[in-house]
Amino acid sequence: MTRLRLLGAALVGAVLVAACGGTSTPGASSTAAATSAAPKADVKIGLATAKSGAANFYNPQQSNGATLAVEQINSAGGVNGAKLQLIVEDDGSARDQGITAFRKFIEQDKVAAILGPTLSAVAAGAHPVAQQSGVPVIAISNTGLGIVGKCDYGPCDWIFRASLGEQSAVPETVKAATGKLGLKKVVIIYGDGKFELDDLKIFKDAFAANGVTVAKEIAYTAKDVDFAPFVTQAKAENPDAIVASSLAGPAGKILDEVAKQMPGKRVIGGNGLNSAALLSNANAGLIVVGTAWSKASTDKANTDFIAAYKAKFGNEPDQFAAQSYTAMIVLADAMKRSGNPTDKAALKKALEGTKDLATPLGAFSFTADHDVKQPTFVMTVKDGQFTPFN
Amino acid sequence: MVEQLYNAVFVGSIYALFALGFALVFSVLDILNLAHPTTFMLGAFAAYFAMATLGLPWYAAAVVAFLACGAFGVVLDRVAFAPLRRRSAPALSAMISSLAVSLIVVRLVELRYGGDFITFPAGVVPSLVLRLGDAVLEGIRLGIIVLSIVLMLGLTYVVRRTQLGRDLRALAENPRAARILGVDVDRAIAATFFVSSALGGLAGVLLAFAYNTLDSKMGLPLELRAFTVMVVGGMGSLPGAVIGAYILGLGEVASLVYLPTELRDAFAFGLLFLVLVVRPTGLLGQRSADRV
Repeated sequence: MTRLRLLGAALVGAVLVAACGGTSTPGASSTAAATSAAPKADVKIGLATAKSGAANFYNPQQSNGATLAVEQINSAGGVNGAKLQLIVEDDGSARDQGITAFRKFIEQDKVAAILGPTLSAVAAGAHPVAQQSGVPVIAISNTGLGIVGKCDYGPCDWIFRASLGEQSAVPETVKAATGKLGLKKVVIIYGDGKFELDDLKIFKDAFAANGVTVAKEIAYTAKDVDFAPFVTQAKAENPDAIVASSLAGPAGKILDEVAKQMPGKRVIGGNGLNSAALLSNANAGLIVVGTAWSKASTDKANTDFIAAYKAKFGNEPDQFAAQSYTAMIVLADAMKRSGNPTDKAALKKALEGTKDLATPLGAFSFTADHDVKQPTFVMTVKDGQFTPFN
Repeated sequence: MVEQLYNAVFVGSIYALFALGFALVFSVLDILNLAHPTTFMLGAFAAYFAMATLGLPWYAAAVVAFLACGAFGVVLDRVAFAPLRRRSAPALSAMISSLAVSLIVVRLVELRYGGDFITFPAGVVPSLVLRLGDAVLEGIRLGIIVLSIVLMLGLTYVVRRTQLGRDLRALAENPRAARILGVDVDRAIAATFFVSSALGGLAGVLLAFAYNTLDSKMGLPLELRAFTVMVVGGMGSLPGAVIGAYILGLGEVASLVYLPTELRDAFAFGLLFLVLVVRPTGLLGQRSADRV
């Protein structure tokens, strides 16, 4: 018993010593930093991204884009003499883990701003954390409704979005497709997730605005295995095209079934079809989709980005890399203009003033609602590459 | 109409192949093998590996996947179930350890192939389309339906007419008595896992061929359905699982055709509810001794 008690006391002592040591070391180093004036403290920026979970295939591209931008900014002298430091945390494609990552950034790392998280559903949980603490956020891949402007959780004026929302991309896609394909009647096949249901609503409004009839709406669920029955049902309406309000996985199956059962018909989709994984699908040529980024764009900002990305990572960037890269460039630009990168209110004001910045996504501005204003690229697939539809 | 019936039979066949393996392990050993969806996924990836990396044709890849998944099943038993069986751990422990193996294998596959879906190299999966008037019947689906039925009949034959089948039935009745009567229990258990996992893996390959798509999470949607199918058919009854699978496939497609699409799941699971109210043991539910 005595021995046990001794052991316990020793353990407590060890923990105490470790804890004191833990607090004293950073204290000492920060004093050192304060006395030697020359190097400014790094400006920390958090990136919450899906390294694991359902959306893990957006990585490593999403992390790579931000990493490349930080490297370029730092090698060009940083922001007003301070270097940027990127801290990447896994949001696990899950709301709770996204919230934990945001809390860590804000409370422990004391970041100046946050990028992410990957999914809209995770953002709905994590963004309010930053909103309450007054930390600017740039959403880099959330395309759903209610991310900026009017949010379900109340005011969201600290949130900005660098990812082209479906409210902007879908109407452009529908307009281009209606014009080129002479659409009169379509059938929408849609999934039951938040993203797909939002898309369904935006598609219906856009078709109504273009005078196209939606003959039938067919729902599938995330646990459906076979998509042939849905396409067979759609075929019965004899539509001019099929609309897939879905994520990339089901979209691939819908594409194959449409090619088999309704040869010659196109599949119009939202951002879910804008996926590199679909490029290897034999029927990807049927796709019509509005995207935020085009590899074929010859803007200098874009060609430079692609070249630098290839040189550093040895593979081609995708849209998610382009968007996280762009968000970091936009953030650094605002930090420079704000004068003090760690003054969050000044940074927010500077972000609001972003206007026609040259980025890989084209001329980039924020609207009054903090949403991105940039061109939409309506694309199809040819020879395994996204190419302009028109 | 013909097309939708064809679709229903196809999806029923996939459910049946999947649920058979699940039901076989449950009927013989009274454990729910939660790694079964992972075996299903592993089958598809084994075939992909055989085709994309080893350059084998599709039929050889299907055989490779069948054998690889069977072997995986035997290893799974040795790692996740046998140690628990030896110390008579409760059934819940077996579920948890199979779930753990499942998570590990899914993560390993994701490390190699990524979390997103992938497709077979162009042109390696045969495509044959039959047209009956306006209806489009895809050859590969027809092949899958026929193969599923042949495999189900084969399994029934093995269980009913062979020495192995008799051993399995003895084991299901009472493992201790079976051992005393000279049944090689370890061999019978290994055979159960081999057959169960090989069938599950083959179902995965076939579905991946039909869609030319595979991903690390492809087994998950089938798990809940396999439970449904087993409950409808009678827990652990093999013919029951097959009948349940076709009923579920038909029910899902029928509700899509005749009901607003939002009510589809309500219909399928309403059916399940109805069966449970009318026949709580399932359609072919029996005492454990008779169910293999």
